[in-house]
Amino acid sequence: MAGFNRSTPSWLNERWRIGWGTGVVLVTYAGLIAVRPTSEHGVGGPIALLALVGYTLGALLIVSGAVARLPPTTVALLPVAITVNIVMGKIVYFSGLPLQLDSIGTVLVGVVAGPAAGAATGALASVIVGMTITPGALPYAVTAAMIGFTAGMLARAGFFRRLSTAVLAGGLIGAVAGVVSAPITAFVFGNASGSVGQSALIATFQAFGNGMLKAATLQGLVADPLDKALTVVLAMAILKGLPPGFLHRFPFVRDRHILAPRADLVRVG
Amino acid sequence: MIEVKGFSFTYPTGSRPALSDVDFEVEPRELCAVVGGGGAGKSTLAGVVSGTVPHLTGGTAQGTVRVNGRDLDDTPLSGLVGEVGLVMQNPFNQISGARFSVREEIAFGLENLGVPRDEMAARVDLVLDDLGLTGVRDRSPYELSGGQQQLLAIGSVLVMRPTVMVLDEPTSQLDAAGNALVFEALGTLKEQGVTVLLIEHRMERLAHAADRVLVLDRGAIVAKGTPGEVLADERLEEWGVAPLRYTVAARRAAGRGLWPARKPLPVTLDAAAAGFGETVDHLDRGDWR
Amino acid sequence: MNAVRDTAHATGASGIHRLNPLTKLAFAVTVTVCAFAVVDYRWPLLLFGILLLPAAIGAGVLRRFLLMLTTFWVPVAVVLFVVQGFFLPGAHDVIAQLGPLKLKSEGVSFALLTALHILVLMSGFFLLLLTTHAGAFMSALSERKVSPSLIYIVSAALQIVPALSRRATRILHAQQARGQVIHGLRGRARALVPLMGPLILGAFTDVGERAAAMETRGFGATRHPTSLTAVPDSGVQRCLRAAMMLCAVAAVTVNVWGVVR
Repeated sequence: MAGFNRSTPSWLNERWRIGWGTGVVLVTYAGLIAVRPTSEHGVGGPIALLALVGYTLGALLIVSGAVARLPPTTVALLPVAITVNIVMGKIVYFSGLPLQLDSIGTVLVGVVAGPAAGAATGALASVIVGMTITPGALPYAVTAAMIGFTAGMLARAGFFRRLSTAVLAGGLIGAVAGVVSAPITAFVFGNASGSVGQSALIATFQAFGNGMLKAATLQGLVADPLDKALTVVLAMAILKGLPPGFLHRFPFVRDRHILAPRADLVRVG
Repeated sequence: MIEVKGFSFTYPTGSRPALSDVDFEVEPRELCAVVGGGGAGKSTLAGVVSGTVPHLTGGTAQGTVRVNGRDLDDTPLSGLVGEVGLVMQNPFNQISGARFSVREEIAFGLENLGVPRDEMAARVDLVLDDLGLTGVRDRSPYELSGGQQQLLAIGSVLVMRPTVMVLDEPTSQLDAAGNALVFEALGTLKEQGVTVLLIEHRMERLAHAADRVLVLDRGAIVAKGTPGEVLADERLEEWGVAPLRYTVAARRAAGRGLWPARKPLPVTLDAAAAGFGETVDHLDRGDWR
Repeated sequence: MNAVRDTAHATGASGIHRLNPLTKLAFAVTVTVCAFAVVDYRWPLLLFGILLLPAAIGAGVLRRFLLMLTTFWVPVAVVLFVVQGFFLPGAHDVIAQLGPLKLKSEGVSFALLTALHILVLMSGFFLLLLTTHAGAFMSALSERKVSPSLIYIVSAALQIVPALSRRATRILHAQQARGQVIHGLRGRARALVPLMGPLILGAFTDVGERAAAMETRGFGATRHPTSLTAVPDSGVQRCLRAAMMLCAVAAVTVNVWGVVR
């Protein structure tokens, strides 16, 4: 289905908007590293503002580009995936497990419907959490979008055909998430978002003499890959449990051999 | 009107056809009911006539389906919007979730078609009134009872004024009053010249409402005709359809010569009462046989 | 789940409730940007004291406003003071000692500043959410030609989350009522699977039908859908929004220039 904004100039069409958004995020990240935020003049306001504005702008561009390209069945899939993110995230949070597991739906959409759909799922899930639970989730929209986007790209590269490579993909997704979210955790939230466990880990890294961004990045690189590997396993379990007709509605997973052939997907007789 | 000719369909993951060599026609102003057991292919047939199968599900199809003269094979789903309406079995899935009040949910289809606001408001309020939903117009669709959701699902399709309407067990969660409202609305539709395909498992009302009845069994049409012919058929149970209890009672009575010989077996409660009344009168007068 | 219900169905009669949702969104964004733009802890405090708090009182949502801040802001602030008060990199001006831990003045002032920034960010958006019905918000976006797909996804998620949560809670209670005792990490994990499995699979399985229903109702049929509900707006609000956006853009520009320089 064609996008809704066909009258816009070509450099602002859907595909380009995803590219521009990703570019803005990368430039923001590079900028944050380059200005050495630990310098006296930087910590606090201006750097946080730069991170906030750059990431928000990037997320808006990515979402507007990604959503315009989605076919109706994928559009109907996203609210359910977002719901799974939120409900699972909540249950895990209240069950006291030392995990997040709030990206199961995002990863699943990335695998089933591709990188753009995955990115939209993640970012919009953050918007929903921001609108219903805490605005503290809003600045992390880009991280969530990157989780879905990376899942989709790795799916396209064939990582989800076997469980072992899928777990590896989970680790990679986690690494991306950890690195991308670090500036927000460090500069906007002063390394105090997330759970008490995460904060304790960051404090430990800081106590060993790491700067704020480095401490947040290290914490992300320790915790996120494990969490996302488990997320991928759960998403794969859901995919296995879905009725065979379900995947046939999504051209991305159907035509690109994203998943291993299933016995019940092969026509008998 | 609906014309289905030699139509067979197999789901992409199915091992046997969900529909095989289906053949029937429904004229404008006609209400055709489809009955059959579980897994007989009723919902698939509803999907086929409304254009969602195989366009959205995939799968292999043979034969032709024409709706209002157009071959669905080369008509995209968007080309049927507003012309063919589909009411699904589960109202929870029919409700879009995109709108926060009953009134806006009913308007969703009109909004999508770009109908001007004033016209839209008038059409929506009319449907709310017809289906007795005016009292809950500002409530969230998700706060309604199952029966009210079912009426909302029907209303959201009615408001688009389709010329062909397909309903998949639209009264499964309704009480007697809701049921009456729906059949009243269907009667009005028929008068307006709408072609209706109704899938229904409760047969009490069909004899009054339907012009024709099809029986589906394992994907094939095994009987078609007037309600009086089809619903009184003794093979109904073999086809997975529970016959009406008063029809069964009349058949047993007829076996012992206790049903008036020139009367057909009853498919409505009124006919059954009249027939048995006649029998009792005769027995009282002693002039039986 | 109360927060979801409350914010998705915020109703009230105050002047702030009646404002166009986009005006309130612009306000939340601008006040956040302005708070972060100045490195002085008194500035965000001022914004909170003279704008956000009076607005919450004026809208008659003060009690819930404070409740949400207590739930979401206070924990962040506490962690912030502990982590940065003791462990801010490069801080050396010790003002107190707790065993092996040294509380440093740079850390405390950084934590104070950051906590107040977050206070303004959260307050601005809480105010928006507590005084805006989600339906009106979505209608306002739709009038602004935001993609119908995006509006559909957000609206549907806002309504399916509570519906599914209610179902999950019911199942959980049923399990507890049957005397199922859950303890230990593995026990918890094992209790979750039978609970969530059918619920999640069912929700995904319904997607195909919902998409079919949407398409037969013309979703995506025209690029110019209309809207049943009109969202009130006024010339004053349009000017106000433009002024706020100008203010935000100016603050960002000055800051980026300052950082790059």
